[in-house]
Amino acid sequence: MIEEEDLELLRRGFQRALKAEDPDKADDALGELGWRDALAAEGTTVVPLIFTEKGLANAVATVLDDLLLSALGLTALAGAGVVLPEVGARTPPGSVVGGRLSVCGSGTARLRRGGGAVVVAAADDGTCQAISVRVADLTVDRVTGIDPAFGLVAVSADGVAFEALGEPAITWQRVIATAQLALSFELLGASRAMLGLAREHALARTQFGRPIASFQAVRHRLADSLLAVEGLAAAVSAAWDAFGSWPSAGPDRDQLAAIAKAVAGHNARSVARNCQQVLAGIGFTAEHRFHRYFRRVLLLDEMLGSARELTSVLGGEILAARTLPTPIPL
Amino acid sequence: MELETFRKGLDEWLDEHEPELTPEADVALDGQMRHLSAVKRLAYDAGWMRWGWPERVGGFGGSTLLRGYLGEALTIRGLVEPGIYSMTEVLAPTMISFAPEELARQMVPRLLRGDETWCQGFSEPGTGSNLASLSCRAVAVGDGWHVTGQKLWTGLAQFADRCVLLTRTGTAESAHKGITALFVDMKSPGISVRPLRTMHGADEFCEVFFDDVRVPLDRTLGEVNGGWAVAMDLLPYERSTSLWHKGAYLHHRLADLLAAAPDGAIQADALGAVVQQLFVFRARSRATQYRLARGEKLGPETSIDKIMVGMTEQVVFDLVADVLSTRIAVGDDPAGERWRADFLYSRAATIYGGSAEIQRNILARRVLDLGPDR
Repeated sequence: MIEEEDLELLRRGFQRALKAEDPDKADDALGELGWRDALAAEGTTVVPLIFTEKGLANAVATVLDDLLLSALGLTALAGAGVVLPEVGARTPPGSVVGGRLSVCGSGTARLRRGGGAVVVAAADDGTCQAISVRVADLTVDRVTGIDPAFGLVAVSADGVAFEALGEPAITWQRVIATAQLALSFELLGASRAMLGLAREHALARTQFGRPIASFQAVRHRLADSLLAVEGLAAAVSAAWDAFGSWPSAGPDRDQLAAIAKAVAGHNARSVARNCQQVLAGIGFTAEHRFHRYFRRVLLLDEMLGSARELTSVLGGEILAARTLPTPIPL
Repeated sequence: MELETFRKGLDEWLDEHEPELTPEADVALDGQMRHLSAVKRLAYDAGWMRWGWPERVGGFGGSTLLRGYLGEALTIRGLVEPGIYSMTEVLAPTMISFAPEELARQMVPRLLRGDETWCQGFSEPGTGSNLASLSCRAVAVGDGWHVTGQKLWTGLAQFADRCVLLTRTGTAESAHKGITALFVDMKSPGISVRPLRTMHGADEFCEVFFDDVRVPLDRTLGEVNGGWAVAMDLLPYERSTSLWHKGAYLHHRLADLLAAAPDGAIQADALGAVVQQLFVFRARSRATQYRLARGEKLGPETSIDKIMVGMTEQVVFDLVADVLSTRIAVGDDPAGERWRADFLYSRAATIYGGSAEIQRNILARRVLDLGPDR
């Protein structure tokens, strides 16, 4: 268990490293800080920490790749990029036909760097294998979209050679669940940041001779944002804790991760709506930081299952089973 | 006792004793109250009801999580209704913190054992959201208080043996600085109780009139003119353990809906959203139970739990009202009546115990630190 004091030091280190606006520089700074060692030794504690800080800072470090390499049991390939499903999808991005690999996916800025990439590919029988491939053999196109700063790329390949790495250490479902929780912590950070910006503005901005924070309509929007932030925080933390504890007979952890991701997307959008209204004119300008967070929230919500889609899937699963998910125990 | 040991032992005990603990179907409120006392008695005698309470009031000690699990287990098995059970969780901690030691030692076991029912006299006709404006007056004469005034929305007062009563002991303008909390025998001369008929059909709330009621000075809870501290200590309890039990009840009723709904009547996305909201509340409340168990002081942040439980109750019963609209409208069978009563009661979830608006004001002022509101 990591000491409170060391955790605070680590947090401050992450905050400094995550300030870099260039993903390569942010990754280098995190490397110097020993982020990967911390992930290996204290993943349960540092994953919530770094992804929340990343969201708070609107940062671009490619820590998701490190997390997924670690979850897949492929830390030996440190520095490789992990190909994610296409935005809007949750199925494995790779498929192997006739001994050649085809890819239709997405990824972080790391895949623009060259070097190696890891693709999870599904076989016809439903099993998955992890595959190592050279980035040079993939088509990697930058995606501008709503959040150009994120550095998202579209990745494709059609029948390329590869090196099989065997069965991944965890199921594809668990890969998705792990990534969903990481993105949920990032959405938490972004939501806290938006609330912070709106609160600061409400206290500083004066109209009718008083700070707008003194008007109940404004106060209640901020209180609603706080509710959304704290609800998100509780849901994501509970789902993350479920990964590390409770006997396997307990709640379905992959389903909890999907619930948390849906809550995160939904609540972050709600925080954005209320905070933008409080920020009013200044929040609509490009010079104010609000829009960066709003863009990030919209992109993160779309990745690995949007709130809308995951909610409908969850309801469908429950209706099919005619039973509610096992509640998290006290 | 560890939570896991407690959980296992209690579950086994409940399995074994379920027949005696199960209420008769659809009894009126007085029957429910009798049943609650019987359940508490059995659970107390078997020891379960004593865990999580300090030894100086007859408890066995141990974590407050044990109480959290007891109420949850009784609720999900349909053995108690958490609304009437909650008075124990709300009032016993306050007695333990503020009553003279001997009084707490004498009285708390009676509440835990189901020998007595207690009520909480806070709201008044002129005092809803603005609790500090209360005017039910207590004047010290010789060795006793003389209490005159009226309380309103006092839950279960008609069944109650005692009342934790907030009174005005300072000037009318003294606001929160002139309030004193008293522990009042409901059998005292001068008290009259009139149950209120509410829209959901159960006479759960009352008007209570005090006409020069004598209360011994040694029944003062906390300091004279220090009643605000008692109220502020009590409210977080009202917004912690008992809300965990409420969350369990909502889960239980949503499971009932799933079983009762005709095929195709529930839309997947609507159901998914309600289940997510239940999860959010449970996750939040679970974290609060652990904070309580670690001995952290609960404060204004419990308004988050309170707002969330109200929202959750309403989305659950909005879904019920949508899926079972005909049964709610015209179902006169016992199950239909229960769905209707639960749905109607859920409308009050954002009103009682501090309205959703007041809770937001508390969050704005005391958690978000937004400064004064004028």
